Amino acid sequence: MLFLKDKRPKLDLAEHTVIIPSICVGNAAQLACDLLIASKELRRIGSLTHPALIPVYGPSAYQHEPKEKVSSCELYEGSEDKLLVVQFRAPWVARHTGHFQKELVELLKGARRVVILSGSFGFEKRVIEESPWAYRASDNFKEAHAAQLGNSELIKWKEHKGEAIYGGGNALQLFKAFDEQKVPVMLLFRYLLEGDNSTDASLIVRELNELCEDFLQLRNGGDGSFKLTVPKSWNLLFGNDVTELLF
Amino acid sequence: MSCPGFGELNIPSSRAFWDDCDEDELENLKPVEKLQLKFDGEPAGEVAPVESELLVVIEGVNVTHFATSLLAKDSKRLCGIPAKTSSLHWSPSSKQLLAILEEDLTSSGEITELLLPYAKLAKKVVTLTLKPKVEFKSEDIQLYRDHIAIVRGVGVDQKDITELEAPNFIAGVAAGVASWRDQEELPVSSFVIYTDKLPLDATAAQPVIKLLQSVGVQSCSPNYVPPRKENSYLYM
Repeated sequence: MLFLKDKRPKLDLAEHTVIIPSICVGNAAQLACDLLIASKELRRIGSLTHPALIPVYGPSAYQHEPKEKVSSCELYEGSEDKLLVVQFRAPWVARHTGHFQKELVELLKGARRVVILSGSFGFEKRVIEESPWAYRASDNFKEAHAAQLGNSELIKWKEHKGEAIYGGGNALQLFKAFDEQKVPVMLLFRYLLEGDNSTDASLIVRELNELCEDFLQLRNGGDGSFKLTVPKSWNLLFGNDVTELLF
Repeated sequence: MSCPGFGELNIPSSRAFWDDCDEDELENLKPVEKLQLKFDGEPAGEVAPVESELLVVIEGVNVTHFATSLLAKDSKRLCGIPAKTSSLHWSPSSKQLLAILEEDLTSSGEITELLLPYAKLAKKVVTLTLKPKVEFKSEDIQLYRDHIAIVRGVGVDQKDITELEAPNFIAGVAAGVASWRDQEELPVSSFVIYTDKLPLDATAAQPVIKLLQSVGVQSCSPNYVPPRKENSYLYM
């Protein structure tokens, strides 16, 4: 079920870049989307509900939209930059995943391009010296971004050709579903391990910005860097302080 | 005496799926039968949802005895809800509908959809989620060390109730119903109580009873007597 705010009749994505996190190792892709939403102060335009999503409700996750309430799947838009970021706040229920994935692709297939973010277990990377990044892109995405993907000075990612991304959740299935619908789609993932994955999240955002600045439109601060905002929902990421009584 | 699994490190193949499915199993999953409300003797599709003045959704672990003995006394059981011992009760005199939900996150999205017709027709909706106190996150957690219960509201305009703060949130059917009402811009009061004792005992039940009475839940008894247990945690 799709909820759109401000009585918007439908989701028009004709010129939009859509970014979707998969629920992966360390939740790194979701954390990256959190950084993106908070840093660019994207506006919540709607949400999705489905039996595949465990319902979630609570106070706003971001400082810039204090009156919003969190839900299991939220849609954020930067209308100026033609950017739509999907954020998931709950793991999926496997038995309903197929149906939900179909609905999601149907809803987003009108987009100009789709980027799926993910992660894979660090120990799945066999050659240590290689880049910790890998990608998979549809033919129409490769054609449209040949200059950037072909620039070996800029992009050092390895092209993934395997049949599974272990720890990457449904990223590959979602990639294939978009590809079948001829939507230009790229899947970008980083090899990482469970732990404090906030650094991985900021690296994912920075790497994506390297590929093509017009994806994210993160404005440079003049010295080639940009500042990322940490959302307030990242407080106490590892639980409460340990009680002194323990010692 | 052996202790199977003790000390073993289990790294899941995927954290993507709540119901422990691995990435390579995803394509082989069979379609599941749709859940339905269990009406006695009548097919679910033929029963029209009742229009209530107040819909109360109470959800938590082992909440059935507390809710049925305290809140469902003057009402009749409408149907079973397909999540453990969950059920829906209707009081014609007070026009109050009561959903008692045993926490079952796997089916919570589906059950929320089953309850939405009732949530749509209700004039007012109150949801209450009971969670163990250890799940409450705060930078000042030491302040709550001796509290029996921590009561919080989400978007509740009530002076004596503190607003829930991030990173805390609620999950489950109560969250689903509250979220749906909120997005439809219909009135909803959503509460969460982080309690020291689950299942509730007579003392831990007091803050819950006080809250329910303050939000106008009808026929809420002032005292709760938990069921007698044959065993205990004490070593004898």
